[in-house]
Amino acid sequence: MSRAARIPNLGGAKAYVLHRPHATVTAILRQLTAIGLDATECWPELPAEALAADFVFFDVDLGFDQQFPWPAGEAPMPTIALIGSEAPGRIEWALSQNADAQLLKPVGNSGVYSALLIARQAFEARRRLANEIASLRERVAERQTIVRAVAALAAEGGDDERAYAQLRALAMTWQISIEEAARRIVAMTRQGKEDDDRTRRA
Amino acid sequence: MPRGPRRASATAAGHSLFWKRGVKRKIEIGLLYARSGSYRLIAEACRSGALRAIAEVNSDPRSEIELAAIERDPAGNIDRYASLCDEILRTSSARHVIGCVTSWSRKETIPVLEKAGATLWYACPYEGFEANEHVVYMHACPNQHLVPLLAHVVPQHGANGFLVGSNYIWGWETNRVARDLIDDAGGKVLGERYLPIGETGIGRLIDEIRSTRPDFVLNNLIGTSSYAFIDAYAALGRNDPHFLPDRCPLLSCNLTECELPAIGEAGRGHLSAGPFFSRQSQDADPAAWTPGNSFEAATYASVKVLAKVLSINPNAGFADLPAIFAANSFDTPFGQTSIDPRTQHATLPVEIGRIAGMGFERVSRVERVAPDPYLSHYDKTETFGRPRLKVVS
Repeated sequence: MSRAARIPNLGGAKAYVLHRPHATVTAILRQLTAIGLDATECWPELPAEALAADFVFFDVDLGFDQQFPWPAGEAPMPTIALIGSEAPGRIEWALSQNADAQLLKPVGNSGVYSALLIARQAFEARRRLANEIASLRERVAERQTIVRAVAALAAEGGDDERAYAQLRALAMTWQISIEEAARRIVAMTRQGKEDDDRTRRA
Repeated sequence: MPRGPRRASATAAGHSLFWKRGVKRKIEIGLLYARSGSYRLIAEACRSGALRAIAEVNSDPRSEIELAAIERDPAGNIDRYASLCDEILRTSSARHVIGCVTSWSRKETIPVLEKAGATLWYACPYEGFEANEHVVYMHACPNQHLVPLLAHVVPQHGANGFLVGSNYIWGWETNRVARDLIDDAGGKVLGERYLPIGETGIGRLIDEIRSTRPDFVLNNLIGTSSYAFIDAYAALGRNDPHFLPDRCPLLSCNLTECELPAIGEAGRGHLSAGPFFSRQSQDADPAAWTPGNSFEAATYASVKVLAKVLSINPNAGFADLPAIFAANSFDTPFGQTSIDPRTQHATLPVEIGRIAGMGFERVSRVERVAPDPYLSHYDKTETFGRPRLKVVS
């Protein structure tokens, strides 16, 4: 029976709440502690230790880019925006931070648990997609290398189709990606040519 | 109580004693239990524990407070809990309500409690994943019922389970946790089925259990559905010995003595986990009262804890509770009980009992298990041991 990813165990996870001292912070800290997280409040800046946090809650009403030890929108962990005023400029700033979930202020007795779960899932999905896109980009960039490798193999005899099949077989034998195999073949061909030149010159 | 000018004027200390004893401060508290409906037996057990404790507080000459119950009967109708809780809080001075059996009704009353700044003392086992500052959780959460129950059953019977439940949050969430635990134990969930509260047509469910042949069945049905199911399961066991309790037991996290009369002999041999099972001790004082089941024990404990809270601060509201819980422990039928100020859940014994006639025989007991409502400290290796190596085919 296949099923969705299970609810993660949040015990011992570290959370920072970047907000000026306020009843909302007390309510969030209470919920975080009840759920089993280690929670720290801070203002006006996130300390360097926050880089190792599992979650960061940040105030949207009074927040600004320089509070964070990372470039805007590039938090290395799930973040949750604490929204009070729905002024469009503030929402715009919150969007630039790429928050993974939000909580509307005032925060009462609930909301933190679902925000943690949603933020974690959204963050992981975003990171997974970003990694996938990066690797796809890399592969697209290697198209030319593949063409050159196929041409080099074809030059040894045979047609393009056979050369491409040969490239795939080599990648499988070496247990590397086809792009990586193509890079090796191009490098070997170049090396071979240089050696030939040297022999001829000698 | 003897009182009069002679006794009162004997000494200055005697005077203050008279003053304290003579004029009890009367405090109203709410009582919200159904007197009818599908889970009436549990609600009546809860109510009797609460009334017993109120009577004891009121007749205790050392007690400085007198509790007056403001009672409403939602009759097991889910839509009446919030409105009747609101009525208690609007029409009386009560700021504490002892009540609710189902999680559904607890969740219905929470918005009313938040609005009024009141507290619910909830004395039934529940599915966890909640820690509202307007609720004190006086019965078991999953690390005090389901986790130890499966940790006991899996090595004895196997890890493949069939999950059944009434169609509301207790069944859904308890079975969700069970799915994760069964997975951690290396087992399979062979089926998961829900019936509406009060449904007693269980033929199809029995057919599915018969054909999947699990190692155990986790029964999260409540009330009349549960009684009908246990009865039909006993009949199945008479036809096929695989379904006898020593091979494939029914497991419950909320079954107590109070429902055994409705179940009868069909329940014999099946297992339940809870903080308390009634025991007739040889050397116990026959005049001393002990609760008949864990629901009665938990409501009795709730009122006793509340009475101590109110004797410390007669105006104690929800915001005062964490500090009082941090500084005190309480004498209850569960032993010396502490309440975690962060989650407002009670530390409780965990006992596994096997049904034997109208009572339970003890299978195991662990004292003082701290509450972990979000299962933040759950560790699968600690619970189920190291996984055995599987043959990869």
